[in-house]
Amino acid sequence: MVYTQRTLWPLIMGIIMVAYAYLVQSGAVESILIKPLGTGRLAGEMQILGYTFGGIAIVVGLWQLIAKTAEGHVDYYLSTIGGVTFIMLVAFIVKWGLDPLMAMWGRDAQPALGFNFASVMNLNYVVMGIVAGIITVNVFKVPGWAENGVRLSRLGLKTGVILLGALYSFAELQQLGKLSVVLIGVFVLGSVGVVLWWGARRNLPNSMTGVLSAGVGVCGVSAAVAAAPVVQAKSTEIAYTIGTILLFGVICMFVFPIVGKALGMGYIQFGAWAGTGILNSAQVAGAALAFQPNGIETLKVAEIFNITRVLFLPIIVIWLAIWYVKREVGAQKVDVGQVLISKFPLFVLGFILMFLLSSTGIFAPARHYQGAYFDNSEKVMVKKDRSGKEINNYLKDPDLEVLKKEAEKIKRDDQKTALQRLIDNKKLMSIDDDDTLRGVVNAKILSKEGNAVLTKAHRAVRHTAAKIAMFRDLIAWFFTFGLVGLGMQITMASIKQAGGQPLVIGSVVGVIKAVGSLIVVMLLVHETI
Amino acid sequence: MSEDKFDRGTALTIFGTDRHEDLVALVLSLVIALLVYLYV
Repeated sequence: MVYTQRTLWPLIMGIIMVAYAYLVQSGAVESILIKPLGTGRLAGEMQILGYTFGGIAIVVGLWQLIAKTAEGHVDYYLSTIGGVTFIMLVAFIVKWGLDPLMAMWGRDAQPALGFNFASVMNLNYVVMGIVAGIITVNVFKVPGWAENGVRLSRLGLKTGVILLGALYSFAELQQLGKLSVVLIGVFVLGSVGVVLWWGARRNLPNSMTGVLSAGVGVCGVSAAVAAAPVVQAKSTEIAYTIGTILLFGVICMFVFPIVGKALGMGYIQFGAWAGTGILNSAQVAGAALAFQPNGIETLKVAEIFNITRVLFLPIIVIWLAIWYVKREVGAQKVDVGQVLISKFPLFVLGFILMFLLSSTGIFAPARHYQGAYFDNSEKVMVKKDRSGKEINNYLKDPDLEVLKKEAEKIKRDDQKTALQRLIDNKKLMSIDDDDTLRGVVNAKILSKEGNAVLTKAHRAVRHTAAKIAMFRDLIAWFFTFGLVGLGMQITMASIKQAGGQPLVIGSVVGVIKAVGSLIVVMLLVHETI
Repeated sequence: MSEDKFDRGTALTIFGTDRHEDLVALVLSLVIALLVYLYV
Protein backbone atom coordinates (compact mmCIF):
# COMPACT_ATOMS: atom_id res chain seq x y z
CA MET A 1 0.00 0.00 0.00
CA VAL A 2 1.35 3.45 -0.96
CA TYR A 3 0.40 6.09 1.62
CA THR A 4 1.78 9.23 0.00
CA GLN A 5 -0.89 11.26 -1.74
CA ARG A 6 -0.10 13.78 -4.43
CA THR A 7 -1.51 16.94 -2.92
CA LEU A 8 -0.50 20.58 -2.76
CA TRP A 9 -1.66 21.00 0.84
CA PRO A 10 1.59 20.26 2.75
CA LEU A 11 3.39 22.70 0.44
CA ILE A 12 0.70 25.39 0.88
CA MET A 13 0.67 24.97 4.67
CA GLY A 14 4.48 25.10 4.73
CA ILE A 15 4.50 28.36 2.75
CA ILE A 16 1.88 29.87 5.09
CA MET A 17 3.98 28.94 8.15
CA VAL A 18 7.24 30.28 6.75
CA ALA A 19 5.52 33.45 5.52
CA TYR A 20 3.99 34.06 8.96
CA ALA A 21 7.34 33.48 10.69
CA TYR A 22 8.94 35.98 8.28
CA LEU A 23 6.18 38.56 8.88
CA VAL A 24 6.71 38.23 12.64
CA GLN A 25 10.48 38.51 12.25
CA SER A 26 10.23 41.59 10.02
CA GLY A 27 7.76 43.28 12.35
CA ALA A 28 5.12 43.59 9.59
CA VAL A 29 2.34 42.11 11.75
CA GLU A 30 3.44 43.85 14.96
CA SER A 31 0.75 46.55 14.88
CA ILE A 32 -2.09 44.49 13.36
CA LEU A 33 -1.71 41.16 15.19
CA ILE A 34 1.03 40.91 17.81
CA LYS A 35 0.29 44.11 19.78
CA PRO A 36 -3.53 43.97 19.69
CA LEU A 37 -3.46 40.33 20.87
CA GLY A 38 -0.64 40.90 23.34
CA THR A 39 1.42 37.99 22.01
CA GLY A 40 4.78 39.75 21.88
CA ARG A 41 6.34 37.28 24.33
CA LEU A 42 5.53 34.45 21.87
CA ALA A 43 7.29 36.08 18.89
CA GLY A 44 10.40 33.93 19.39
CA GLU A 45 8.56 30.61 19.26
CA MET A 46 6.43 31.87 16.34
CA GLN A 47 9.60 32.30 14.30
CA ILE A 48 11.37 29.10 15.37
CA LEU A 49 8.32 26.84 14.97
CA GLY A 50 7.08 28.61 11.82
CA TYR A 51 10.41 28.26 10.03
CA THR A 52 11.07 24.71 11.27
CA PHE A 53 7.69 23.09 10.53
CA GLY A 54 7.08 25.27 7.47
CA GLY A 55 10.51 24.42 6.05
CA ILE A 56 10.05 20.68 6.56
CA ALA A 57 6.55 20.81 5.03
CA ILE A 58 7.82 22.69 1.97
CA VAL A 59 10.69 20.23 1.34
CA VAL A 60 8.60 17.09 1.89
CA GLY A 61 5.58 18.59 0.10
CA LEU A 62 7.72 19.30 -2.97
CA TRP A 63 9.30 15.83 -2.83
CA GLN A 64 5.87 14.20 -2.64
CA LEU A 65 4.72 16.19 -5.68
CA ILE A 66 7.77 15.49 -7.80
CA ALA A 67 9.19 12.12 -6.75
CA LYS A 68 7.80 8.77 -7.74
CA THR A 69 6.69 7.09 -4.53
CA ALA A 70 6.90 3.36 -4.00
CA GLU A 71 5.64 1.25 -1.13
CA GLY A 72 8.08 1.11 1.78
CA HIS A 73 9.33 2.80 4.95
CA VAL A 74 10.20 6.11 3.25
CA ASP A 75 6.70 6.42 1.80
CA TYR A 76 5.05 5.34 5.06
CA TYR A 77 6.91 7.62 7.46
CA LEU A 78 7.13 10.67 5.17
CA SER A 79 3.37 10.40 4.57
CA THR A 80 2.93 11.55 8.20
CA ILE A 81 4.40 15.00 7.48
CA GLY A 82 1.17 16.33 5.91
CA GLY A 83 -0.87 15.41 9.01
CA VAL A 84 1.75 16.69 11.45
CA THR A 85 1.83 20.03 9.59
CA PHE A 86 -1.97 20.12 9.58
CA ILE A 87 -2.14 19.57 13.37
CA MET A 88 0.57 22.15 13.99
CA LEU A 89 -1.19 24.72 11.81
CA VAL A 90 -4.41 24.22 13.80
CA ALA A 91 -2.37 24.46 17.03
CA PHE A 92 -0.68 27.70 15.85
CA ILE A 93 -4.02 29.31 14.98
CA VAL A 94 -5.51 28.29 18.31
CA LYS A 95 -2.52 29.14 20.53
CA TRP A 96 -1.35 32.35 18.88
CA GLY A 97 -4.74 33.59 17.62
CA LEU A 98 -7.89 32.25 19.25
CA ASP A 99 -6.51 31.88 22.79
CA PRO A 100 -5.41 35.54 23.20
CA LEU A 101 -8.47 36.73 21.24
CA MET A 102 -10.89 34.92 23.59
CA ALA A 103 -8.97 36.19 26.63
CA MET A 104 -9.32 39.74 25.26
CA TRP A 105 -13.05 39.34 24.49
CA GLY A 106 -13.60 37.80 27.91
CA ARG A 107 -12.02 40.82 29.62
CA ASP A 108 -13.87 43.30 27.37
CA ALA A 109 -17.26 41.69 27.98
CA GLN A 110 -16.75 41.37 31.75
CA PRO A 111 -18.32 44.74 32.69
CA ALA A 112 -21.49 43.94 30.66
CA LEU A 113 -21.82 40.27 31.62
CA GLY A 114 -20.58 40.50 35.18
CA PHE A 115 -18.14 37.61 34.66
CA ASN A 116 -15.25 36.71 32.35
CA PHE A 117 -16.83 34.16 30.01
CA ALA A 118 -13.46 33.00 28.60
CA SER A 119 -12.20 32.21 32.09
CA VAL A 120 -15.45 30.66 33.37
CA MET A 121 -15.90 28.50 30.26
CA ASN A 122 -12.19 27.68 30.25
CA LEU A 123 -11.72 28.86 26.67
CA ASN A 124 -7.94 28.44 26.54
CA TYR A 125 -5.76 26.96 23.80
CA VAL A 126 -5.91 23.42 25.20
CA VAL A 127 -9.71 23.20 25.27
CA MET A 128 -10.10 25.06 21.98
CA GLY A 129 -7.40 22.89 20.35
CA ILE A 130 -9.21 19.69 21.28
CA VAL A 131 -12.56 21.16 20.22
CA ALA A 132 -11.00 22.28 16.91
CA GLY A 133 -9.81 18.69 16.39
CA ILE A 134 -13.25 17.25 17.22
CA ILE A 135 -14.96 19.72 14.85
CA THR A 136 -12.42 18.99 12.11
CA VAL A 137 -12.96 15.23 12.18
CA ASN A 138 -16.73 15.27 12.69
CA VAL A 139 -17.78 18.19 10.48
CA PHE A 140 -15.14 18.37 7.74
CA LYS A 141 -13.41 14.96 8.10
CA VAL A 142 -9.64 14.65 8.36
CA PRO A 143 -8.28 14.78 4.81
CA GLY A 144 -6.79 11.51 3.52
CA TRP A 145 -3.27 13.02 3.21
CA ALA A 146 -3.38 14.00 6.91
CA GLU A 147 -4.60 10.72 8.40
CA ASN A 148 -1.17 9.17 8.97
CA GLY A 149 0.10 12.28 10.75
CA VAL A 150 -2.96 12.33 13.03
CA ARG A 151 -2.01 8.77 14.03
CA LEU A 152 1.19 10.26 15.54
CA SER A 153 -0.65 12.25 18.21
CA ARG A 154 -0.29 9.52 20.85
CA LEU A 155 3.45 9.45 20.14
CA GLY A 156 3.48 13.19 20.86
CA LEU A 157 1.75 12.68 24.21
CA LYS A 158 4.11 9.85 25.20
CA THR A 159 7.18 11.90 24.24
CA GLY A 160 5.78 14.77 26.32
CA VAL A 161 5.37 12.46 29.34
CA ILE A 162 8.95 11.13 29.00
CA LEU A 163 10.42 14.65 28.71
CA LEU A 164 8.34 15.70 31.72
CA GLY A 165 10.60 13.40 33.78
CA ALA A 166 13.35 16.04 33.48
CA LEU A 167 11.31 18.56 35.48
CA TYR A 168 10.90 16.67 38.75
CA SER A 169 13.09 16.83 41.79
CA PHE A 170 13.63 13.91 44.21
CA ALA A 171 11.63 15.67 46.92
CA GLU A 172 8.62 16.19 44.64
CA LEU A 173 8.62 12.61 43.40
CA GLN A 174 8.97 11.27 46.92
CA GLN A 175 6.06 13.32 48.25
CA LEU A 176 3.74 12.93 45.26
CA GLY A 177 4.73 9.29 44.70
CA LYS A 178 3.60 8.18 48.15
CA LEU A 179 0.30 10.01 47.86
CA SER A 180 -0.37 8.75 44.34
CA VAL A 181 0.29 5.10 45.20
CA VAL A 182 -2.26 5.28 48.03
CA LEU A 183 -4.92 7.21 46.09
CA ILE A 184 -4.49 5.33 42.82
CA GLY A 185 -4.25 1.99 44.60
CA VAL A 186 -7.57 2.52 46.33
CA PHE A 187 -9.43 3.94 43.33
CA VAL A 188 -7.99 1.73 40.58
CA LEU A 189 -8.36 -1.54 42.46
CA GLY A 190 -11.71 -0.36 43.85
CA SER A 191 -13.21 0.49 40.47
CA VAL A 192 -11.92 -2.69 38.81
CA GLY A 193 -13.42 -4.69 41.68
CA VAL A 194 -16.78 -2.90 41.50
CA VAL A 195 -17.06 -3.41 37.71
CA LEU A 196 -16.21 -7.12 38.03
CA TRP A 197 -18.75 -7.58 40.82
CA TRP A 198 -21.50 -5.56 39.12
CA GLY A 199 -20.92 -7.14 35.70
CA ALA A 200 -21.28 -10.62 37.23
CA ARG A 201 -24.52 -9.62 38.98
CA ARG A 202 -25.93 -8.26 35.71
CA ASN A 203 -24.89 -11.44 33.89
CA LEU A 204 -22.66 -9.61 31.41
CA PRO A 205 -20.27 -11.93 29.54
CA ASN A 206 -17.00 -12.35 31.49
CA SER A 207 -15.01 -11.04 28.53
CA MET A 208 -17.12 -7.84 28.40
CA THR A 209 -16.88 -7.28 32.16
CA GLY A 210 -13.13 -7.93 32.13
CA VAL A 211 -12.27 -5.50 29.37
CA LEU A 212 -14.61 -2.82 30.79
CA SER A 213 -13.07 -3.10 34.25
CA ALA A 214 -9.57 -2.53 32.86
CA GLY A 215 -10.74 0.47 30.81
CA VAL A 216 -12.66 2.09 33.67
CA GLY A 217 -10.10 1.23 36.35
CA VAL A 218 -6.66 1.81 34.87
CA CYS A 219 -5.85 4.11 31.96
CA GLY A 220 -8.68 3.97 29.48
CA VAL A 221 -8.33 2.87 25.89
CA SER A 222 -4.78 1.45 26.17
CA ALA A 223 -5.75 -0.62 29.20
CA ALA A 224 -8.85 -1.99 27.48
CA VAL A 225 -6.76 -2.98 24.46
CA ALA A 226 -4.04 -4.52 26.69
CA ALA A 227 -6.52 -6.54 28.75
CA ALA A 228 -8.60 -7.71 25.78
CA PRO A 229 -6.49 -10.76 24.82
CA VAL A 230 -6.36 -12.20 28.36
CA VAL A 231 -10.16 -12.14 28.75
CA GLN A 232 -10.64 -13.08 25.09
CA ALA A 233 -12.79 -10.02 24.43
CA LYS A 234 -14.57 -9.69 21.09
CA SER A 235 -14.01 -6.60 18.96
CA THR A 236 -17.58 -5.39 19.66
CA GLU A 237 -16.88 -5.59 23.41
CA ILE A 238 -13.68 -3.58 22.99
CA ALA A 239 -15.65 -1.06 20.92
CA TYR A 240 -18.34 -0.77 23.66
CA THR A 241 -15.63 -0.13 26.24
CA ILE A 242 -13.75 2.40 24.11
CA GLY A 243 -17.01 4.22 23.35
CA THR A 244 -17.88 4.42 27.06
CA ILE A 245 -14.40 5.59 28.05
CA LEU A 246 -14.24 8.19 25.30
CA LEU A 247 -17.69 9.61 26.06
CA PHE A 248 -17.00 9.78 29.78
CA GLY A 249 -13.43 11.02 29.28
CA VAL A 250 -14.38 13.85 26.95
CA ILE A 251 -17.07 15.05 29.37
CA CYS A 252 -14.57 14.88 32.26
CA MET A 253 -11.93 16.77 30.29
CA PHE A 254 -14.24 19.77 29.93
CA VAL A 255 -16.06 19.54 33.28
CA PHE A 256 -13.13 18.84 35.66
CA PRO A 257 -11.29 22.19 35.10
CA ILE A 258 -14.53 24.16 35.53
CA VAL A 259 -15.34 22.33 38.79
CA GLY A 260 -11.71 22.68 39.95
CA LYS A 261 -11.77 26.44 39.44
CA ALA A 262 -15.21 26.78 41.03
CA LEU A 263 -13.94 24.96 44.14
CA GLY A 264 -10.76 27.07 44.22
CA MET A 265 -8.51 24.01 43.96
CA GLY A 266 -4.73 24.46 43.86
CA TYR A 267 -2.34 22.85 41.39
CA ILE A 268 -1.56 19.84 43.55
CA GLN A 269 -5.20 19.22 44.47
CA PHE A 270 -6.42 19.48 40.90
CA GLY A 271 -3.54 17.41 39.49
CA ALA A 272 -4.20 14.68 42.04
CA TRP A 273 -7.93 14.70 41.31
CA ALA A 274 -7.58 14.68 37.50
CA GLY A 275 -4.90 11.98 37.63
CA THR A 276 -7.11 9.78 39.78
CA GLY A 277 -10.63 10.56 38.59
CA ILE A 278 -10.35 10.81 34.79
CA LEU A 279 -10.37 7.50 32.95
CA ASN A 280 -8.15 8.06 29.92
CA SER A 281 -4.47 9.09 30.06
CA ALA A 282 -4.68 11.64 27.23
CA GLN A 283 -7.69 13.32 28.83
CA VAL A 284 -5.83 13.63 32.14
CA ALA A 285 -3.20 15.71 30.35
CA GLY A 286 -5.95 17.69 28.57
CA ALA A 287 -7.76 18.54 31.81
CA ALA A 288 -4.54 19.45 33.65
CA LEU A 289 -3.38 21.80 30.89
CA ALA A 290 -6.88 23.24 30.52
CA PHE A 291 -6.86 24.01 34.27
CA GLN A 292 -3.46 25.72 34.06
CA PRO A 293 -2.73 26.56 30.41
CA ASN A 294 0.19 28.91 31.06
CA GLY A 295 2.15 26.70 33.41
CA ILE A 296 3.11 23.12 33.85
CA GLU A 297 2.79 22.53 37.62
CA THR A 298 -0.69 20.94 37.46
CA LEU A 299 0.36 18.74 34.55
CA LYS A 300 3.38 17.53 36.53
CA VAL A 301 1.22 16.45 39.48
CA ALA A 302 -1.45 14.90 37.25
CA GLU A 303 1.14 12.92 35.29
CA ILE A 304 2.68 11.42 38.43
CA PHE A 305 -0.78 10.08 39.28
CA ASN A 306 -1.32 8.99 35.70
CA ILE A 307 2.02 7.17 35.56
CA THR A 308 1.30 5.47 38.87
CA ARG A 309 -2.00 4.34 37.37
CA VAL A 310 -0.31 3.06 34.20
CA LEU A 311 2.08 1.10 36.42
CA PHE A 312 -0.93 -0.73 37.83
CA LEU A 313 -1.75 -2.03 34.34
CA PRO A 314 0.32 -5.26 34.47
CA ILE A 315 -1.10 -6.02 37.93
CA ILE A 316 -4.66 -5.53 36.70
CA VAL A 317 -4.01 -7.65 33.60
CA ILE A 318 -2.75 -10.49 35.83
CA TRP A 319 -5.75 -10.09 38.16
CA LEU A 320 -8.13 -10.22 35.19
CA ALA A 321 -6.35 -13.22 33.71
CA ILE A 322 -6.64 -15.18 36.97
CA TRP A 323 -10.26 -14.01 37.45
CA TYR A 324 -11.14 -15.08 33.90
CA VAL A 325 -9.45 -18.50 34.15
CA LYS A 326 -11.43 -19.19 37.33
CA ARG A 327 -14.75 -18.33 35.69
CA GLU A 328 -14.36 -19.73 32.19
CA VAL A 329 -14.02 -23.43 31.49
CA GLY A 330 -11.22 -24.10 29.01
CA ALA A 331 -9.56 -20.68 29.31
CA GLN A 332 -5.76 -20.79 28.96
CA LYS A 333 -3.63 -20.45 32.10
CA VAL A 334 -1.53 -17.31 32.32
CA ASP A 335 2.23 -16.95 32.65
CA VAL A 336 2.44 -14.13 35.21
CA GLY A 337 6.08 -13.28 34.46
CA GLN A 338 5.43 -13.09 30.75
CA VAL A 339 2.40 -10.79 31.24
CA LEU A 340 4.44 -8.51 33.52
CA ILE A 341 7.17 -8.15 30.91
CA SER A 342 4.95 -7.85 27.84
CA LYS A 343 2.48 -5.36 29.36
CA PHE A 344 4.97 -3.15 31.18
CA PRO A 345 4.71 0.33 29.61
CA LEU A 346 8.17 1.20 28.31
CA PHE A 347 7.50 4.94 28.16
CA VAL A 348 7.21 4.96 31.96
CA LEU A 349 10.78 3.64 32.07
CA GLY A 350 11.69 6.50 29.73
CA PHE A 351 10.14 8.97 32.19
CA ILE A 352 12.21 7.48 35.03
CA LEU A 353 15.36 7.52 32.87
CA MET A 354 14.83 11.21 32.06
CA PHE A 355 14.29 11.98 35.75
CA LEU A 356 17.53 10.16 36.64
CA LEU A 357 19.42 12.03 33.90
CA SER A 358 18.06 15.33 35.20
CA SER A 359 18.95 14.34 38.77
CA THR A 360 22.63 14.16 37.82
CA GLY A 361 22.45 17.92 37.35
CA ILE A 362 23.15 18.00 33.60
CA PHE A 363 20.13 20.21 32.85
CA ALA A 364 20.11 22.27 36.03
CA PRO A 365 21.89 22.15 39.39
CA ALA A 366 20.74 18.95 41.06
CA ARG A 367 18.88 20.72 43.85
CA HIS A 368 16.67 22.65 41.47
CA TYR A 369 13.00 22.96 42.28
CA GLN A 370 10.69 23.47 39.31
CA GLY A 371 13.67 24.63 37.27
CA ALA A 372 14.76 27.23 39.82
CA TYR A 373 17.99 26.81 41.77
CA PHE A 374 19.97 28.60 44.47
CA ASP A 375 23.25 30.35 43.71
CA ASN A 376 24.71 33.23 45.76
CA SER A 377 28.24 33.12 44.39
CA GLU A 378 30.08 36.33 43.56
CA LYS A 379 29.65 35.85 39.80
CA VAL A 380 25.85 36.03 40.03
CA MET A 381 25.71 38.67 42.77
CA VAL A 382 27.77 41.12 40.73
CA LYS A 383 27.46 40.80 36.97
CA LYS A 384 27.42 42.89 33.84
CA ASP A 385 24.43 43.45 31.57
CA ARG A 386 24.59 43.43 27.76
CA SER A 387 25.81 47.02 27.59
CA GLY A 388 28.63 46.21 29.98
CA LYS A 389 27.05 48.08 32.92
CA GLU A 390 27.67 46.48 36.31
CA ILE A 391 24.62 45.14 38.18
CA ASN A 392 25.11 44.68 41.92
CA ASN A 393 22.52 42.33 43.48
CA TYR A 394 23.67 42.78 47.10
CA LEU A 395 21.16 44.52 49.38
CA LYS A 396 21.88 48.25 49.69
CA ASP A 397 22.06 50.28 52.90
CA PRO A 398 18.46 51.64 52.67
CA ASP A 399 17.24 48.00 52.24
CA LEU A 400 19.18 46.91 55.31
CA GLU A 401 17.77 49.83 57.32
CA VAL A 402 14.21 48.67 56.50
CA LEU A 403 15.00 45.13 57.66
CA LYS A 404 16.76 46.29 60.86
CA LYS A 405 13.79 48.51 61.74
CA GLU A 406 11.31 45.66 61.32
CA ALA A 407 13.40 42.83 62.77
CA GLU A 408 11.58 42.94 66.10
CA LYS A 409 8.30 41.95 64.43
CA ILE A 410 9.77 38.48 63.87
CA LYS A 411 9.33 36.16 66.82
CA ARG A 412 10.49 32.73 65.65
CA ASP A 413 14.17 31.97 66.38
CA ASP A 414 14.96 30.35 63.01
CA GLN A 415 13.45 33.33 61.19
CA LYS A 416 15.33 35.80 63.40
CA THR A 417 18.64 34.00 62.74
CA ALA A 418 18.04 33.85 58.98
CA LEU A 419 17.19 37.56 58.89
CA GLN A 420 20.28 38.48 60.91
CA ARG A 421 22.48 36.46 58.55
CA LEU A 422 20.90 38.28 55.61
CA ILE A 423 21.56 41.68 57.23
CA ASP A 424 25.16 40.74 58.08
CA ASN A 425 26.06 39.44 54.62
CA LYS A 426 23.76 41.62 52.46
CA LYS A 427 22.71 38.45 50.64
CA LEU A 428 20.95 35.18 51.47
CA MET A 429 23.51 32.63 52.59
CA SER A 430 21.72 29.31 52.07
CA ILE A 431 18.71 27.72 50.46
CA ASP A 432 17.33 27.05 53.96
CA ASP A 433 17.58 30.74 54.89
CA ASP A 434 15.80 31.57 51.64
CA ASP A 435 12.99 29.10 52.39
CA THR A 436 12.68 30.36 55.97
CA LEU A 437 12.40 33.98 54.89
CA ARG A 438 9.91 33.08 52.12
CA GLY A 439 7.77 31.89 55.02
CA VAL A 440 8.06 35.37 56.57
CA VAL A 441 6.97 36.95 53.26
CA ASN A 442 4.03 34.55 52.85
CA ALA A 443 2.87 35.14 56.42
CA LYS A 444 2.99 38.92 55.78
CA ILE A 445 4.78 39.54 59.09
CA LEU A 446 6.70 42.57 57.80
CA SER A 447 5.38 45.69 56.09
CA LYS A 448 5.03 45.92 52.30
CA GLU A 449 8.43 47.58 52.16
CA GLY A 450 10.04 44.87 54.27
CA ASN A 451 8.53 42.13 52.14
CA ALA A 452 9.79 43.87 48.99
CA VAL A 453 13.36 43.80 50.35
CA LEU A 454 13.09 40.10 51.23
CA THR A 455 11.70 39.36 47.76
CA LYS A 456 14.58 41.31 46.21
CA ALA A 457 17.08 39.22 48.20
CA HIS A 458 15.23 36.05 47.13
CA ARG A 459 15.35 36.98 43.43
CA ALA A 460 19.06 37.71 43.64
CA VAL A 461 19.89 34.11 44.56
CA ARG A 462 17.19 32.14 42.71
CA HIS A 463 17.81 31.50 39.05
CA THR A 464 15.85 29.73 36.35
CA ALA A 465 17.76 27.08 34.46
CA ALA A 466 17.61 27.83 30.72
CA LYS A 467 17.61 24.12 29.83
CA ILE A 468 14.67 23.41 32.15
CA ALA A 469 12.79 26.40 30.71
CA MET A 470 13.40 24.97 27.21
CA PHE A 471 12.13 21.55 28.34
CA ARG A 472 8.99 23.22 29.70
CA ASP A 473 8.26 24.91 26.35
CA LEU A 474 8.94 21.73 24.37
CA ILE A 475 6.72 19.65 26.66
CA ALA A 476 3.86 22.13 26.33
CA TRP A 477 4.12 21.88 22.52
CA PHE A 478 4.28 18.08 22.50
CA PHE A 479 1.11 17.98 24.61
CA THR A 480 -0.57 20.60 22.43
CA PHE A 481 0.26 18.56 19.31
CA GLY A 482 -0.94 15.35 20.97
CA LEU A 483 -4.17 16.85 22.24
CA VAL A 484 -5.19 18.56 18.98
CA GLY A 485 -4.46 15.25 17.19
CA LEU A 486 -6.39 13.39 19.89
CA GLY A 487 -9.37 15.64 19.21
CA MET A 488 -9.15 14.59 15.56
CA GLN A 489 -9.49 10.95 16.65
CA ILE A 490 -12.65 11.49 18.73
CA THR A 491 -15.29 10.63 16.17
CA MET A 492 -19.02 10.60 16.90
CA ALA A 493 -19.06 7.11 15.38
CA SER A 494 -16.67 5.78 18.05
CA ILE A 495 -18.59 7.50 20.88
CA LYS A 496 -21.89 6.13 19.54
CA GLN A 497 -20.46 2.64 20.05
CA ALA A 498 -21.10 3.12 23.77
CA GLY A 499 -24.39 1.69 24.85
CA GLY A 500 -26.40 -0.76 26.91
CA GLN A 501 -25.21 -2.23 30.20
CA PRO A 502 -21.49 -1.44 29.66
CA LEU A 503 -22.34 2.27 29.32
CA VAL A 504 -24.47 2.21 32.50
CA ILE A 505 -21.88 0.32 34.57
CA GLY A 506 -18.91 2.27 33.15
CA SER A 507 -20.58 5.65 33.70
CA VAL A 508 -21.80 4.90 37.23
CA VAL A 509 -18.39 3.57 38.32
CA GLY A 510 -16.68 6.49 36.54
CA VAL A 511 -18.87 9.03 38.37
CA ILE A 512 -18.29 7.29 41.72
CA LYS A 513 -14.54 7.37 41.08
CA ALA A 514 -14.60 11.04 40.05
CA VAL A 515 -16.74 12.19 42.99
CA GLY A 516 -15.03 9.88 45.49
CA SER A 517 -11.55 11.02 44.47
CA LEU A 518 -12.70 14.67 44.61
CA ILE A 519 -13.87 14.25 48.20
CA VAL A 520 -10.69 12.44 49.25
CA VAL A 521 -8.45 15.00 47.53
CA MET A 522 -10.29 17.96 49.09
CA LEU A 523 -10.02 16.36 52.53
CA LEU A 524 -6.50 14.95 52.42
CA VAL A 525 -4.43 16.81 49.84
CA HIS A 526 -3.04 20.20 50.70
CA GLU A 527 -0.96 22.52 48.58
CA THR A 528 1.96 22.25 50.96
CA ILE A 529 2.63 18.51 50.75
CA MET B 1 -11.06 5.92 10.78
CA SER B 2 -11.46 2.19 10.70
CA GLU B 3 -8.93 -0.42 11.81
CA ASP B 4 -8.62 -2.17 8.45
CA LYS B 5 -7.98 1.04 6.53
CA PHE B 6 -4.26 0.84 7.27
CA ASP B 7 -2.13 -2.19 6.56
CA ARG B 8 0.39 -1.04 9.21
CA GLY B 9 -0.48 0.03 12.75
CA THR B 10 -4.00 0.77 13.92
CA ALA B 11 -6.45 3.67 13.70
CA LEU B 12 -4.73 5.18 16.78
CA THR B 13 -1.07 4.82 15.85
CA ILE B 14 1.20 4.25 12.87
CA PHE B 15 3.25 1.75 14.87
CA GLY B 16 2.64 -1.99 14.91
CA THR B 17 2.65 -2.35 18.70
CA ASP B 18 2.45 -0.14 21.80
CA ARG B 19 5.99 -1.19 22.64
CA HIS B 20 7.26 0.01 19.27
CA GLU B 21 5.56 3.38 19.83
CA ASP B 22 7.03 3.62 23.35
CA LEU B 23 10.49 2.89 22.00
CA VAL B 24 10.23 5.60 19.33
CA ALA B 25 9.00 8.08 21.98
CA LEU B 26 11.98 7.13 24.16
CA VAL B 27 14.52 7.59 21.35
CA LEU B 28 12.92 10.88 20.30
CA SER B 29 13.03 12.15 23.89
CA LEU B 30 16.68 11.20 24.31
CA VAL B 31 17.61 12.96 21.06
CA ILE B 32 15.74 16.09 22.19
CA ALA B 33 17.42 15.93 25.63
CA LEU B 34 20.83 15.67 23.94
CA LEU B 35 20.09 18.68 21.72
CA VAL B 36 18.89 20.71 24.71
CA TYR B 37 22.02 19.70 26.65
CA LEU B 38 24.34 20.65 23.81
CA TYR B 39 22.76 23.83 22.46
CA VAL B 40 20.76 25.56 25.22
